[in-house]
Amino acid sequence: MDWFLFITIIFYVLGLFHSLIGFFKKRQLFVKIAIALFAIGFVSHTLFLISLGLQRGHFPITNLPEALCVFAWCISLSFMVATFRYKINALGAFILPLVSALTIISELIWEENHSIPPLLKSGWIYFHASVAFLAYAAFFFTFVSGLLYLIQEKKLKEKKFHFLYFRLPSLQVCDELMWRSLYVGFISMSLTIISGAFWAQQAWGRFWSWDPKETASLITWGIYFILINYRLSNKWRGRRAAYISIVGFVSILCTFGINWGLHTYL
Amino acid sequence: MDQDRNQPVYVGFWMFNFLLIGLNHRTAKLDFRQLASFNAIQVPDGLKQLSGRPGIIESMIISTCNRVEILSNVDHRADAVDSIETFLAEFSNVSRSELQTKLYRYSNDQAIRHVFRVASSLDSMILGESQILGQIKNCYSMAVDTHTVGTYLNGLLQAAFRAAKRVRSETSIGEYSVSVSSAAVELIRKIFGDLRKKSILIVGAGKMGETTLRHLADTGTQAIYVTNRSPEAARHLAERSNGMAVPFSDFHQWLARVDIVVTSTGASDTLIDRSVVERLMTEKKNKSMVFIDISVPRNIDPAVGNIDNVFCYDIDDLGTVVEANLHERLKAASIAEKIVDQEVQAFCTKLKTLEVAPVVMQVQGRIEEICQAELQRCLRKIGPQEPKQVQELEMMVSRIAGKLSHPLVMQLRNGQDSLNQSAMMDLIKRLFKTRDPEHKKLT
Repeated sequence: MDWFLFITIIFYVLGLFHSLIGFFKKRQLFVKIAIALFAIGFVSHTLFLISLGLQRGHFPITNLPEALCVFAWCISLSFMVATFRYKINALGAFILPLVSALTIISELIWEENHSIPPLLKSGWIYFHASVAFLAYAAFFFTFVSGLLYLIQEKKLKEKKFHFLYFRLPSLQVCDELMWRSLYVGFISMSLTIISGAFWAQQAWGRFWSWDPKETASLITWGIYFILINYRLSNKWRGRRAAYISIVGFVSILCTFGINWGLHTYL
Repeated sequence: MDQDRNQPVYVGFWMFNFLLIGLNHRTAKLDFRQLASFNAIQVPDGLKQLSGRPGIIESMIISTCNRVEILSNVDHRADAVDSIETFLAEFSNVSRSELQTKLYRYSNDQAIRHVFRVASSLDSMILGESQILGQIKNCYSMAVDTHTVGTYLNGLLQAAFRAAKRVRSETSIGEYSVSVSSAAVELIRKIFGDLRKKSILIVGAGKMGETTLRHLADTGTQAIYVTNRSPEAARHLAERSNGMAVPFSDFHQWLARVDIVVTSTGASDTLIDRSVVERLMTEKKNKSMVFIDISVPRNIDPAVGNIDNVFCYDIDDLGTVVEANLHERLKAASIAEKIVDQEVQAFCTKLKTLEVAPVVMQVQGRIEEICQAELQRCLRKIGPQEPKQVQELEMMVSRIAGKLSHPLVMQLRNGQDSLNQSAMMDLIKRLFKTRDPEHKKLT
């Protein structure tokens, strides 16, 4: 079954390579090839996860390499959706490095026959972990598009019409991608927290225990909640919102990284 | 690739011999180009005159505002050069010696490369401009209608169109705007992306403003408002651009309804200052706005650009964009040159096979003919034989024929060294007394 993962990595890396050439040389042809290669990688990635799930008899999300693999898949999925919706040539050069790195790390630290800790043997895990990774993936897009917005806005304000000005998408597109992914991420994260609480009630007998990961995710959720509120009230637009989306992503990284307390397994 | 560029590529000395004679914006000044240029009515007449002259088999005239070129397939180069130069001199009413100082001549692979580069807009006055391909297609179709192009020029032009298409699709040479008004549109698109839901207010009904407005309207903007000190001019411009004229005295109140403001008036004072726009942004709930000020002196306070979500550009900024775009076009052009190189190579290879194929057939036929004649003579001498023996003899003879012609054919097909190959071709043609097929005169 590792064949699929191997093929996936090869196509992802080839796709990354082509999208970087397309970005630096500004050649549409390479961007198209990159997307085609990446799409093949994505299909193979999907097949890998399905076959892995069938082999193990459960959704493959119970150890770190599996989780990284699923996370990479979530980002790939978002990338495919964003690419077909917005046709941003530069996006691949910013998203594909992470996808490729995640799959490669997953392959390197691959563990066979990892038994599930008894505590995790619950239907909740599949939902809880899936929406959590979807939220991470969506917020990663919010971060990248916010970053692109800030760079492009700086170029436009400073009237520096050089390398990045030509290559980055328009502010409007960055803004739209940022908000769309923010909404998706926010809804997924809310679902993650709610499902986590129910599962905690089942496993440990209480909804909330202020474990570090729970606290961090609540803070992150709060940051994005404020951002959405200001957006809806039309006070924050453009640059300021983009800055907050970057702060939110730092918080996301902390949330992702904190794996002690009750969340020791991930 | 770059090293190959100046090396002649073998194209042959037999069926085709491309010759291009012409002048362009580099060799001749505008008033001279005007004398030599052909209009749509003159082209067919010119082609008819030209095709009857000595040395010329196929011909077409490429005439645009920046170039006049005669592309032809000739059977005698010296005659053809003479014919074409005389023709051009007669047509433009200048002495041949004066004309010759402006003319360039390219033959065979240089001619092919030149046509490819012209079609790909690499030889244009404004590098990468998109009109040249259409102009050449037009000239080509006129030549087709006048029946002065045949197989070889057809092939050449189709290959040139393919090269130009590749250059368009594989490089970004045509993507960058190089006029001030289109650069303004490009800048606005870098902010708003799709302009279909955006509205414009144009202050001043001058020429420059109108050009910019037309470029903007081409992107399908939602609403256009026009204002001007003289309401008459505003109304006219509004009519021409499907917009609405609004009174100049209170144009400020229209600012809140639009996303893009273009000013181009002769006013010497500031029409829009920072405080106006600050109030405006509160009213517009911080939705982005773009101000393009193409008037000199400026009509918009440059400090407007310091407000969040407001982008303000004056004529100098647009100049910087144009400069940066030209620079990008130059970079794309170097990729385009490589594509042209590849296409020239591919076309020359195709021509080579086109030329070699009939010789190969004739050589094979000639050997086969000799062997068969000898076999028949032998059979007559030795009298009737068993069918099986006759069959054996026939097979032996055709094997001999095959073995004799094989190395010759291989040499013709795979010759790498162009000079040796043309000598080889001449030798083989002489040894086997192959005939050159008659050139069809195209009338």
